[in-house]
Amino acid sequence: MFSKRKMPFSLLGAYTLLYLAILYIPVLFLPMFSFNDSIYTAFPLQGFTLQWYQEMANNSAMLKALQNSIKLGVVVAIISTILGTMAAKAFTSYRIGYATPLKGFIAVPLVIPLIILGISLLVVFSRMGVPLSLFTIGVSHIVICVPFSMLVMISRLEGFDNGLEEAAQDLGESPWMTFWLVTFPLALPGIVASLLLCFTISFDEFLLSFFLSGDQQTLPVYIWTQLRFPAKLPNVLALGSCILLASVVVVVLAEWVRRIGVAPAENGADKT
Amino acid sequence: MSDDRFISVQNISKHFGAVRAVDDVCFDIRRNEFFSLLGPSGCGKTTLMRMIAGFEEATSGDVHIDGQPMGHTPPHERPVNMVFQNYAIFPHLTVQQNIAFGLRKEKLAKKELNRRVEEALEMIKLPGYGPRAAHQLSGGQRQRIALARALIKKPKVLLLDEPLGALDKKLREQMQLELRALQKSIGITFIFVTHDQEEAMTMSDRIAVMSEGKALEVGPPAQLYERPTSHFVADFLGSMNFFDGRVLKAEPGMALVETRELGHVRVLSDNAGVVPGRDVIVAIRPENIAVSTQKPKGDINSVKGRVDTAAFLGDRSNIYVMVNDGRDTVLTVMQNLGGAASRIGAQSDDIWLSWNDKAGILLPATAR
Repeated sequence: MFSKRKMPFSLLGAYTLLYLAILYIPVLFLPMFSFNDSIYTAFPLQGFTLQWYQEMANNSAMLKALQNSIKLGVVVAIISTILGTMAAKAFTSYRIGYATPLKGFIAVPLVIPLIILGISLLVVFSRMGVPLSLFTIGVSHIVICVPFSMLVMISRLEGFDNGLEEAAQDLGESPWMTFWLVTFPLALPGIVASLLLCFTISFDEFLLSFFLSGDQQTLPVYIWTQLRFPAKLPNVLALGSCILLASVVVVVLAEWVRRIGVAPAENGADKT
Repeated sequence: MSDDRFISVQNISKHFGAVRAVDDVCFDIRRNEFFSLLGPSGCGKTTLMRMIAGFEEATSGDVHIDGQPMGHTPPHERPVNMVFQNYAIFPHLTVQQNIAFGLRKEKLAKKELNRRVEEALEMIKLPGYGPRAAHQLSGGQRQRIALARALIKKPKVLLLDEPLGALDKKLREQMQLELRALQKSIGITFIFVTHDQEEAMTMSDRIAVMSEGKALEVGPPAQLYERPTSHFVADFLGSMNFFDGRVLKAEPGMALVETRELGHVRVLSDNAGVVPGRDVIVAIRPENIAVSTQKPKGDINSVKGRVDTAAFLGDRSNIYVMVNDGRDTVLTVMQNLGGAASRIGAQSDDIWLSWNDKAGILLPATAR
């Protein structure tokens, strides 16, 4: 047996540091400049202020956009996860003819450039006379979220012992109650992951929202319109910092839920 | 409803496309019987059991349980419970919750529920295991808990799908005896699916031997072992020597058969269809063939041979004897009484094989 060599400071170490710096330092600039007492996002720092956070709290247009995005994200996450879960359940529990092409067909939005998808949906909606609104954005977000949800749920449900559901039915539960007593609790970590993923995708999606929004803007679209006015930028930085904090909390939470879920499931799978 | 036809499998078939997984199977199971479905993998035994449980829809035919035709009754409405091959212990529930799962609909008071669960845990000799999580259990414990979970529903029939397959040999043998004792004490009809003939013979009142979707023979273990009526069953249960032959003389209860390997053999025959000139198979169990160094005296079937190989197994030896001038081999088994079997390999002299008329089993040649 060889003991692990101790890594001296080397090219690989330097590369790692550089990589991490490029990845994280710009992100950390966001909260830093959000407390900077200047409308210009530039060094040297001018002093500490909470002014931008106060302004943000009073910026009703921005808050409205934030509210739109959250509402949209929640609805999209729930609908996409329900659809994705049903597709995943079908693919993992039943023998379906043409399963592979079907799966590919559902996953197509993953590889279609969003700009193409956006334009085509815009054409379809305007031809059909559907007015552009949060509804049209929501439909487009569901189209791109369902494949993600389906893939997450397939990986969760695969290797799921079908005997568990049969056992529940054998013990007197109807198929419907079997779903709620056995399938749902075991799939829950996957469902939570799918909800978070879909919410995140919807929340920061720009292209489709840009093409398909009427007078109701989502946050990314609103931020884009604000970038033309330098004086508004510190507000965006303040909001960005808040979102960053919220994201960290959500990711930690999601990972925690995943770990709770994984432990018993792994043991359930150790059948011989 | 007569107890002899407590469960009645009536001309049941299951086709998967062109494959006849279960092909027109017919038999009855008695009340409180320990009944085994025995056969090699792919013989249709699991499919048949799943049709009794309601997980597979029969292509044709039906199962009656306690006089009731099951038809399209879904699994959760049938008076049967099942112990699954992988036990299917719910991983997100504790042992207590697993065992109580089937009682949810009975809406018992908490105290009564706990009493029933604790009773079940006593029965499977795991008292106090209620609060444990499913992943803290060993294979044997899972097996017992799956059993308790199914039995707490007090089903009319308990189905067991190769429940001992995943256990090691010692534990398996112990569980065979425990299962048998449990079945006798609670008086529930057990249907046990297995590919292990020893397991089936140890536990069962009766066995149905299945092959290629058909139930070939149904009967008590001793009957199937000692008087099989088909080549498959004779071959599948234990070991067997088979000799092709032709009937020379047929008398009531006795036939004289000419075989290439053994010459003329007298065989018991209770089959009226045995007539001179007919091709038959003579089957003889190795343990019914005696080995001696002298030509046996008296009126007994015998043949001269030479030991080819002797496989020493401790309590006994499997001895392969060359007969017919070394052209054919006969298997015989010798108990190792006082080291008798361990010495046999050293002999290279001629020996004699002998067996009485009752040892031979006459099988139709077409059954091969």
